[in-house]
Amino acid sequence: MRERRKGPIGRAAGLAEGVAATMRRMQREREPRVLVYDETGYARLVQPDGRGYERLLETAERMVELVDESDAEAKPRRPRREA
Amino acid sequence: MRFGTAARGYSDLMAGTLTPERTARRLCELSADARAAVLLDAAGAPAGFHGVPKSRSGDLAQLALTVFDAVDRAHRDMPGGPPEQVEIQVDGGTVYGSRTPRWTLAVVARRAALSSLMLMDLRAVLGELEGGAPIRRSTPAAAPALRAEATEEAAASESPVPELGVE
Repeated sequence: MRERRKGPIGRAAGLAEGVAATMRRMQREREPRVLVYDETGYARLVQPDGRGYERLLETAERMVELVDESDAEAKPRRPRREA
Repeated sequence: MRFGTAARGYSDLMAGTLTPERTARRLCELSADARAAVLLDAAGAPAGFHGVPKSRSGDLAQLALTVFDAVDRAHRDMPGGPPEQVEIQVDGGTVYGSRTPRWTLAVVARRAALSSLMLMDLRAVLGELEGGAPIRRSTPAAAPALRAEATEEAAASESPVPELGVE
């Protein structure tokens, strides 16, 4: 059976659905998450209400900040050229 | 002569041996997404670092220790064996950690890093540190031809279009 051709409204709706799905995926990827792996490589997700979750996130954020600060110190901003 | 050859060979072998001091650097060299790393010994003391100045290496080591302390806390609520590796994704990046009974290695990576590759690199580097096989890095099968020194004459004689019938 031939698929019916979409009209301009159908095409616009399809496009909007695609954009919305991309936004949802990007949002999901930005969400913080914690995974632990056992020696066989089996992963377990630490639930947000789980013990240690908040501490793990805080510690990781601090580690990232520390590296950001170190990078900023290593590459100081160049002074603007005077015209 | 024979002694000299053997000594040179031994020296090359030692140069390729991974030491605790070089481990963090090795990890950052393996992965372009690794920004900084720290290695801790079994007592939790820093044994090597890379990507941060020495003045901040102690802080990074302390935070890496805190990560595995929190991992052990979190693990109490979960089934299975004790976690060997951890991955924590936060807004500005991802922290990965891996441990063996002797060493703990933690790395701060870019958010775009591929988890499976980063965890494999951590495991491989720790394996090498513990006396395992060194990580083999691929090199091109054919060595690139040595380029002649760039001169204006050479550049002028080069045609941007390949000539037909010329081998």
